[in-house]
Amino acid sequence: MLADSQSDTLNESYANISRSSAHEMAPPPHKNEGELATSRSCGSGFITSGFGFLIPLLVLIVVAFDAPIGYMLSLAFWDNTKGFTFQSYESLLEAPIYLRVLANTLGISVIVTFANVAIGYPLAHWMRSLSGRAKIIVIALVVLPFWVSVLVRTYAWIVILGNDGLVNRTLQWLGLTHTPVQFLYNAIGVTIGMTAVLLPLLVLPLYAAMVRIDDRLLRAAASLGAPPRMIFWKIYFPLTMPTLAACALLVFMFCLGFYITPAILGGGRVSMIANVLDMLINQFPNWAQASAISTILLVVMLLIFAAYRRVDQKVSAK
Amino acid sequence: MIGSSLWARSILAAIGIAGLLFLTAPLAIVIPMSFSSESVLTFPPSDLSLRWYEAFFGDTRWMDAMRTSAVLALISSIVALGLGGLAAYGLRRSSIGGRGWAEGNFLAPLFAPTIIIAVALYIGLAKVGLLGSFIGLVLAHAILNAPLCVMVLGVAIEEFDLRIEQVAWSLGASWFLTLRKVVLPVLAPSLLTSWIFAFMGSFDEVIVTSFIGGTYQTVPKMMFNQLKIEVDPTITVIATLLTTFTVLALAAVAAIRARLSKFKPFAVAQ
Repeated sequence: MLADSQSDTLNESYANISRSSAHEMAPPPHKNEGELATSRSCGSGFITSGFGFLIPLLVLIVVAFDAPIGYMLSLAFWDNTKGFTFQSYESLLEAPIYLRVLANTLGISVIVTFANVAIGYPLAHWMRSLSGRAKIIVIALVVLPFWVSVLVRTYAWIVILGNDGLVNRTLQWLGLTHTPVQFLYNAIGVTIGMTAVLLPLLVLPLYAAMVRIDDRLLRAAASLGAPPRMIFWKIYFPLTMPTLAACALLVFMFCLGFYITPAILGGGRVSMIANVLDMLINQFPNWAQASAISTILLVVMLLIFAAYRRVDQKVSAK
Repeated sequence: MIGSSLWARSILAAIGIAGLLFLTAPLAIVIPMSFSSESVLTFPPSDLSLRWYEAFFGDTRWMDAMRTSAVLALISSIVALGLGGLAAYGLRRSSIGGRGWAEGNFLAPLFAPTIIIAVALYIGLAKVGLLGSFIGLVLAHAILNAPLCVMVLGVAIEEFDLRIEQVAWSLGASWFLTLRKVVLPVLAPSLLTSWIFAFMGSFDEVIVTSFIGGTYQTVPKMMFNQLKIEVDPTITVIATLLTTFTVLALAAVAAIRARLSKFKPFAVAQ
């Protein structure tokens, strides 16, 4: 009972997260617009219009979110001695280290996104085929890691992937290797850790989309003589494709800004954009350079997010 | 899959189970490890003891961090819930222009990369002299968690029948009275759930806290700093506690929702 409602709830609340992005800019639909108008005439102007309720959070967001972000973005264009300048951006292009970090980040992000799709799609598909108690348990097991601290989930991989860890001992026991394989403190460890952390983000919405596919559609195809493989590739897969694309974009976007897992599993040897930002802020304060990188990262993410919303809106329009 | 062979279904199940293990094995391993008696991390532990729990609870730095985390999470989640709740209500009950933009702005902290928020807050708070202050931390955590409250409560308010409020007004109740006697009781379960989410969000926050926290040590910040340097088995204890805490919080949310679905006092027949 508990597990049942829990998984439903969490799935729901999770779905809200991903769904809300679709209508976040558009005004929410009002079913009873007419009645609303009458109600408004009952009260008096400003507060009744509801706007008054927005003001406290609006003030907080503008002062403590918009203003700092704006200030940070402007820093990259400003030099105390020279005034307006593009210098921070120019030095980004000139320094090979930044380009290498960028290539590194993109490379790991692409691999993690593909790994997520490769593991997540079959997992979600398998979840759909389950029924009864097994289904509830599996959903709960996918939802739970989503809420557990990223630190805990990353830390566990140190235990699993270490030189004396589970994986290495299994490999040695099987005789596949005699010396421990180095999984940690390199790109392999970072990739594995990031994939595991981001997997629920892909699986849950994908599973929700798969559940919405009408079984009668598949049965109709089967009754017309289509072999299972054809049903999958001609009907099932195309129906899940838009959600898959949206989720993959979201995962890719989160990869670009990932900080914790690379910092821990990379052991300082795998530099991603976020870790370089950390260095620029905390080690040798270079705010202008950090601002320039942040600006670029933010613009790239906005573009990806715009693409995500486009795809996602198409999905929810169905 | 309709009509697929047993063979195909077994392969799918194998991949699915492997994927599930990939997700859950880390959590499953951490918990028994915390009861290990050894000073090096090995799984499975050869001997059980509470040694690392004693080390953890006996360490004043961890206990201080625990207190800071709890107080910070408590204050910031209340701020996030209060402001987020009001905003969610305003968003659903107003038709003023620019509402969509306001909502987009409220949800932005959820989608903007945390690292950029951290850098921006670092620079911004340094500018006004609040870097490393508790107020700075509270503001930051409130902003990070308000979006969840706006979202969870937004859904609840949308489902809430506007006519109930209209009845209250038409019977002469003031706005405040309507809010207190009608709106809040109906929304109570959702308020509680979003508060739990905001509390969890704040209690787990690492990146922003690491950047702007200064000398304030929270549990995740301390854990993160330790993990970057060395792997100390005490960490398994805090990992176990955090996991348990998450499970309990999610169970609480589930229980609230389960009661909610049975008990719908204001469901008006259409």
